[in-house]
Amino acid sequence: MTGLRPGFRSLLGPLVLRPAAKDRLRFLLTISGIAVGVATIAAIRLANASVLSSFSDTVDFVAGKAGVTILADGPGIPEETLQRLAWVRRVGATLAPAITETAAAGAADGEVVEVLGIDPLADTAAREYSFAEEKKEEKIFLEGEEGEGHARAANLSSIFERDSVLVTSVFAKRNSLRPGSPLHLVANGIERTFRVAGVLHPVGAARAASGSILFMDLAAAQEAFGKVGRLDRIDVVLPPGLSEDDRARFEEEIRASLPPGTTAGRPERRTETVDRLVRAFRVNLSALGLIALLVGMYFVYNTLSISVLRRRTDIGTVRALGASKRSVFTVFLAEGLALGVFGSAAGVGLGVALAKGALLLVGGTATELYIPSAHPSLHLDPLVLLFAFALGVATSVLSALAPALEAARVDPAATMRHGSVEAVRRRRTRPLALTGVVLLALAFALALPGPVRGLPLFGFLSVFLIVSGVSLLAPAAVTFAAARLDGPALRLFGVEARLARANLTGSLSRTSVAVAALTMALAMMVSVAVMVGSFRTTVAIWVSQTLASDLFLSAASGKSGASFGRIPDEAIAVVRDVDGVDEVDPFLAFGATRDGVPFTIGSGLFAFIAKHGNLPLVDGRDTRKVFTEALGKDEAMISEPYAEKFRVKTGDFVELPTDKGPARVRVAGIYTDYSNDRGTVTLDRAHFQRLWPLTGAVTVAVKLKDGVSPEEGARRVSAALQGRYALRVRTNATLRRLVLRIFDRTFAVTYALEAVALAVAVLGVLNTLTALVLERRREIGLLRVLGASAARVKRAVQYEAAAIGGLGVVMGVLSGGAMSLVLVHVINRQSFGWTIAMHAPWGFLAAALGLVLLATLAAASRPAGLAASTDVAAALKEE
Amino acid sequence: MGARVTADSVSKSYGGGGGGGDESRAAGVDALAGISLTLEPGSFTALLGPSGCGKSTLLNLLGALDRPTGGRILVDGRDLATLGEDERDAYRRKTAATIFQFFNLLPTMNALENVALPLLLDGAAPAEADARAASLLAEVGLHGKERAYPYELSGGQMQRVAVARALANRPTLLLADEPTGNLDSKTGTQVLDLVSGLVQERGITVVMATHSVEASARASRVVRLLDGQLLP
Ligand SMILES: Nc1ncnc2c1ncn2[C@@H]1O[C@H](COP(=O)(O)OP(=O)(O)O)[C@@H](O)[C@H]1O
Ligand SMILES: [Mg+2]
Repeated sequence: MTGLRPGFRSLLGPLVLRPAAKDRLRFLLTISGIAVGVATIAAIRLANASVLSSFSDTVDFVAGKAGVTILADGPGIPEETLQRLAWVRRVGATLAPAITETAAAGAADGEVVEVLGIDPLADTAAREYSFAEEKKEEKIFLEGEEGEGHARAANLSSIFERDSVLVTSVFAKRNSLRPGSPLHLVANGIERTFRVAGVLHPVGAARAASGSILFMDLAAAQEAFGKVGRLDRIDVVLPPGLSEDDRARFEEEIRASLPPGTTAGRPERRTETVDRLVRAFRVNLSALGLIALLVGMYFVYNTLSISVLRRRTDIGTVRALGASKRSVFTVFLAEGLALGVFGSAAGVGLGVALAKGALLLVGGTATELYIPSAHPSLHLDPLVLLFAFALGVATSVLSALAPALEAARVDPAATMRHGSVEAVRRRRTRPLALTGVVLLALAFALALPGPVRGLPLFGFLSVFLIVSGVSLLAPAAVTFAAARLDGPALRLFGVEARLARANLTGSLSRTSVAVAALTMALAMMVSVAVMVGSFRTTVAIWVSQTLASDLFLSAASGKSGASFGRIPDEAIAVVRDVDGVDEVDPFLAFGATRDGVPFTIGSGLFAFIAKHGNLPLVDGRDTRKVFTEALGKDEAMISEPYAEKFRVKTGDFVELPTDKGPARVRVAGIYTDYSNDRGTVTLDRAHFQRLWPLTGAVTVAVKLKDGVSPEEGARRVSAALQGRYALRVRTNATLRRLVLRIFDRTFAVTYALEAVALAVAVLGVLNTLTALVLERRREIGLLRVLGASAARVKRAVQYEAAAIGGLGVVMGVLSGGAMSLVLVHVINRQSFGWTIAMHAPWGFLAAALGLVLLATLAAASRPAGLAASTDVAAALKEE
Repeated sequence: MGARVTADSVSKSYGGGGGGGDESRAAGVDALAGISLTLEPGSFTALLGPSGCGKSTLLNLLGALDRPTGGRILVDGRDLATLGEDERDAYRRKTAATIFQFFNLLPTMNALENVALPLLLDGAAPAEADARAASLLAEVGLHGKERAYPYELSGGQMQRVAVARALANRPTLLLADEPTGNLDSKTGTQVLDLVSGLVQERGITVVMATHSVEASARASRVVRLLDGQLLP
């Protein structure tokens, strides 16, 4: 090590720093290439971490000091559970029961707030509250010391009259509320007026949901949200000084006294559940980010191998002067490291900026699809930043490895001429291509196995192998295409075609890398476009099949757009009686978990579906028949994602959590469902209500009588509900549009990523061509001596660019097509559980590919101009 | 028939600070100071002088690779300064061919393609160009080496390919800048024999820069250059 240092330092100047300073633009491009990859990954992870951390913060703040939290697998914990658990009080523990709900504040489209219904007497043991007015710093906190605590608890409960709520200071400020102000809340389709009883400091539970949380009395909440006799959670505050073993034993004992359908565990497990929900979404986005980074890797490889090539003589000289192989190797590795460090640093900065934008998209999508009440704000997790940075540096060093090894192999005499170096590389074309073919075969094989722990790991590996396999084929493809540039093309395009051919094969290692990078980016664009296009068309067709009704009603759900809350039975009855309404189909559902994995239990009128046949079955059987049979036998229908996720087939039995223990229901069939990837078990409404004491509906589909237009129907329904119920009424057409709008927004981020990757790849072509032109200054000088005009030299570079761009497009389309098959049939299916029919968006693809070719040619104009303006006499003098 | 070349008080100075010159930072080097010279058609002139005296500079001016800062150069009565860009390209393609000491061939093309290049640049049909290139290669004794790439050839062979290529478009003026400077003396002699034989057959006017008195012995006329000026 000691011998290496001085050698290393003295080599840094001549081999790295000075050349880099001379060729600033190319180094800047390389750094930005890495930066883009790192930024993409950082942005996705940051946005995701922000969504999750806002959720997990909420979970933590709500859980407070609880050591064990009891949650329901199904639609709530029966209130009697508190009696069954009474024994825990005797051993010094406290039970804090709560109702958790979501409501819209102010008006039907107002701010979405979490509502926590609490028992004021018990709750101070679990959660901390601090009032913002008069008695400013007074904290109410109970830790078992009876006397003092009781006095303060009394203070908290005295505020709890009926219809009183406590709001956070953040929320109060945003809505100009003071103690005594009225507050309208819309929940379950009904608007109620509450009174602000107090304002809380942002301390403890008041920090949950970034302050968008209200507290009210447990009984009042049960009534307001239709949950009389039920609880959503019970937080158990354990006696102080419990060892970990004691805690575990305590948890076990609690579990033993719980009724069926309820679970006890650490409060954090809610976060894991949510994490599982968004995991597939995140993994898919991250995979896209990784491809962007892969393109960045190519940049580093490209730049460094050019560096090594151009400095061969210098390397030979320093080796002759006694520099060791190892120090030469280290110098070039250090260059990769430096590029990685600069690029990643810039990338992290850029990533933070991007994350702000991505948060709106990812956050919007993730919260809309999965967690309606999350209020994500950008949270700069240092671990995420460090991860993205390290990933960027690691990949650059990795891609510097090969060029650095090559540099170390330069012999001191440096007698090898440029041509012979490339000739050695040309000889590798065939073995590389063969390896590529083997990798492609392997990619095919890897597309066959199923998911690993719910993630399509083999599918991702398959895509990765397609990308790598095709990259290895690039030299062969360039050689093949270049050969076509000679024969007949020579007559057609003139000697420039031969010059382009000579340049393409003469610098095969560089040109094939540029082709591979472009191929990769295009493959990614094509595959994602085909996947998204197929998905969109499939969804559009499905929506038009399944949305058979004329109107759709949902509980008004605030400005987030996600729906929550239930429409009360009385409101459904009002709608049924509206003149012009023919039939109503109420859909009622709640979230449940199976082995910790969330899914939905839903219900509708099987008779309605049996009559209209509007829910296509996966196996193509007749919907009407299957639903009629299921109705008669009290059987369940499951959605395709549920079947995929839990590997359930028609004829199998599913277990559903009820208060009386699991109910076993036979599966009568599997229906296609693209509305969510959680998976749904659907029962007939009557069957469902025999198992769970739930009423109302999440959504109501309305069939109008013949001759009543949807607009007219909507007007009449709205008029009937006016002043009584706050429901959202949508016509078939608006809902369809909304579905596609949500779809497009969900995938907007993928389009943004594609655009980024493409821009990087086109810059890569610019980078490579610029480097090649600089490297070939003497050759260009020689051409000019032989009488080639500047215009022809320029045209040769443009032909070369066109060949690189054309090859990239052809190979990108082929490999992108293969990748889209894997994305659609393997990755999407295994991540989300739905079957998508292939529908390639030809128009979009043609436009995008044409644009890429144009961009490549445009990018080539700078190096082409550079070539044309080469000073002949000066170029020839260079040694 | 060879070209008649007349240089009339030709001077060339490399001004300091002229952008792009990352090579020399010196301000105002007078590489040539008023050279007047006439080359008769078919003559073989050796330009003899030490390194740095201005030989390459003069050849570059005669080959229209660079422009003089003073004086005129007439080739067959045409003033090179009056030629437009296209005409200069055509002049290099057809009239004045150049051979260098190093790096004469395009490393990415084989011998045949190197020789065919000027023909193709001049608009010859590919088949025709290949045929003529092959016969030129045979003439310089490289029959069978058509497909060889430069890195597969020896120094002497590379120089012969360069000679074949220089003759491809039947130039009337051959400018050779130390063509044997990089070869051992035996190979150098062979290349010189070849060049003088071929040019005499064709009556091409030759200017050869060299710092070797031996090499200059082959010329019909020796012109000495020192610090940018002709010695009497
Ligand atoms: N591009 C240039 N910029 C500045 N000075 C130059 C340039 N090219 C040549 N010179 C100078 O002009 C003089 C003649 O150079 P050159 O013609 O190459 O000499 P020779 O070929 O006889 O060795 C030298 O002093 C050289 O340094
Ligand atoms: Mg010289």
